Amino acid sequence: MSHAAATAAAEPLMQPSAKAGADTKAPVRIAVKGLNFYYGQFHGLKDINLNFHDRQVTALIGPSGCGKSTLLRTFNRIYSLYPEQRAEGEILLDGVNILDSKVDLNDLRARVGMVFQKPTPFPMSIYDNVAFGIRLYEKLPKSELDDRVEASLRKAALWDEVKDKLKQSGMGLSGGQQQRLCIARTVAQRPEVILFDEPTSALDPISTGRIEELIEQLRDEFTIAIVTHNMQQAARISQFTAFMYLGELIEFSQTEKMFMNPTERRTQDYITGRFG
Amino acid sequence: MPGHIVTSYDTDLENLRRSISEMGGVAEKMTTEATDALVRRDDGLAQAVILADKRLDALQRDIEERSVLLIARRQPLAIDLRETISAIRVSGDLERIGDLAKNVAKRVVAISDQAPAQKIVLGVRHMSDLAEGQLKDVLDAYASRDIEAAHDVWERDGEIDALYNSLFRELLTYMMEDPRNISFCTHLLFCAKNVERIGDHTTNIAETIHYLATGETLAGERPKNDASNYVTVDGGLAP
Repeated sequence: MSHAAATAAAEPLMQPSAKAGADTKAPVRIAVKGLNFYYGQFHGLKDINLNFHDRQVTALIGPSGCGKSTLLRTFNRIYSLYPEQRAEGEILLDGVNILDSKVDLNDLRARVGMVFQKPTPFPMSIYDNVAFGIRLYEKLPKSELDDRVEASLRKAALWDEVKDKLKQSGMGLSGGQQQRLCIARTVAQRPEVILFDEPTSALDPISTGRIEELIEQLRDEFTIAIVTHNMQQAARISQFTAFMYLGELIEFSQTEKMFMNPTERRTQDYITGRFG
Repeated sequence: MPGHIVTSYDTDLENLRRSISEMGGVAEKMTTEATDALVRRDDGLAQAVILADKRLDALQRDIEERSVLLIARRQPLAIDLRETISAIRVSGDLERIGDLAKNVAKRVVAISDQAPAQKIVLGVRHMSDLAEGQLKDVLDAYASRDIEAAHDVWERDGEIDALYNSLFRELLTYMMEDPRNISFCTHLLFCAKNVERIGDHTTNIAETIHYLATGETLAGERPKNDASNYVTVDGGLAP
């Protein structure tokens, strides 16, 4: 046998996509401990304990009203805009409890970026949409700012489509492009964590495909949490999946296991479309 | 298990199950009748078995098409995905069982003018009875999702292998005794081998039931008692 043939024979038959599997040994980026959440009197999240691993995509699934978006909204404390909403327990981001009143919210939101269901570009140029967040925190010379805007748009896979019209309004882009512009705006802040709240539910299949591809790439740099109603999407793009129901975490495991053979009966009923 | 919110999804899966059960019935009947035809030298029955295989093939194609369509249309997950994949696998095994029974029937036609010793023919009958029993048990286990029953079938396949092994030696002896026996003994040997293969496909189905129920592949070596791979004409085992 030639050397080349011997080497080929030693390689596995199928080269698994290097990114596909869950890395269970990845360090914990966000640790949720005994989290309870209240909308006034309503107990929205009940004693949630859950880890989000570094540079892994974690999908949150469950029927409407199960608390998955609520959980997502605790990670950047966006809920604190509303005085009647409060969280109890601990959410450790790199070991620091972000629910602590001493945590600087602006700093937190720069570290934990968020992309919403409906694209939310600001009514300004494409360039300014991306530069806006950077200018809040950093005074960069024009050329450096240009570079950062370009790099962010490239990371959001939008650069080639908008490089000749950076001065035009972001509102003039298509829905899918607007969503990628919002991702570019988030990425420009150099966050550690990106939260996606149903980022493709308002998009057509092609734009959805682009966003999914993008999330796969962003995983090289960021820890990602995504709320989605699309089971197949969760199965495709995440490494870990959490199933929530009525404010409780029912099951959390590697995505592969979750969608092939979940442990909990309620999980199975939900993902197979048997839920009442 | 509660039904799907989309009731036509339940109907699709139920129809798959029904078709598998129909295929199972046809495959069982073919296995029994092929051996009946062999024991009784019944050409007419053998022809009926050969004809029945067309029905089995058509059913298998139909199950495969409907499973593919179900995957495309409904993107099944968890138990539904395993159920769909299992339907494809089991229908494939049943189709092969039909082919093997048909092959036995063809040989009945080929040796119809010869008179093999009834004793050896009965050896094939005995093997076939075991295989039929296994097939019936595994189909029941599939219908009732009975993983214990499937494991029993899986473990019992060794008996068929052992029987095949002793039949193989016996036929070898007959052939050595009188070269005029070679023609029908060879045919009988293939018949026995076909029945042994039916047993193998039956254990495949048992493995599929395990996968269907647990989501995991049945690990470990299946008990094998077929040493015929190593037998030489002097009757001993090759080194």
